[in-house]
Amino acid sequence: MIEILSYICIVIGIIFWFWGTLPLIGNRSVLFKLHSLSVADTLGSMSIIIGLLLKIPSEWSLLLLAIISLAIWNTVLGYVLAYCSSSGGNND
Amino acid sequence: MDTIAYFNIILRLAIWFLLTADFSLANIIIGVSIAFLLPRSYTSPGKLKDWLRVLWEIVIAIPQAYIEAIQIMLLPHNQEEIVLERVKPQRTPGLIFLDIFLITFTPKTIVLKYHERGWYEVHRVRRGKRHNKDIERSSLMEKSNEEMTQ
Repeated sequence: MIEILSYICIVIGIIFWFWGTLPLIGNRSVLFKLHSLSVADTLGSMSIIIGLLLKIPSEWSLLLLAIISLAIWNTVLGYVLAYCSSSGGNND
Repeated sequence: MDTIAYFNIILRLAIWFLLTADFSLANIIIGVSIAFLLPRSYTSPGKLKDWLRVLWEIVIAIPQAYIEAIQIMLLPHNQEEIVLERVKPQRTPGLIFLDIFLITFTPKTIVLKYHERGWYEVHRVRRGKRHNKDIERSSLMEKSNEEMTQ
């Protein structure tokens, strides 16, 4: 049962990855691509790690650390990229 | 000690114990001493109630983010807009960081800029077809915002 649940999480994560990463090739604004990337990188990767967490619970501490770092770093770097993409200059 | 210092030390200890996964006495002593020895900058204290609310909002934001992701995937969200959101009064830098984190964490919204006069500039996607006019308008809005802040 848990095995199936973990595979479901991993598959959802992979779907999120592809859905979010493929639009990078299209011609939309940088910010629009960032929205889909946050689906792919933050939520997709988190879902894959939750799947791994169900599969190998003995490594829970490192996997939990990975989830926390993914959430924090992806979000903060997303903000940094968004900040840099908007016309520079006025740094208030 | 103010609340932000407590959260700071709790965060350091949590990272240390997650990284080492070892609860022997020696490791606990090392972890606690590192948590206290690492330098920290002075920050203005926020209210404990505000901190607890923001932390609770982060817990809620995780399922919220997945719901938004599925909405974006199933229904086309092609309209982009830039809106200004007011910062709640009396936010300390730590709380503002967490606010920006919360807004950016959910897939539909990204904070573009924080204006020190008390505004977040938020970029958001909405349902509907893509119009070039919208994009023009949003870039116009951006320009007017810049003028406003100068």
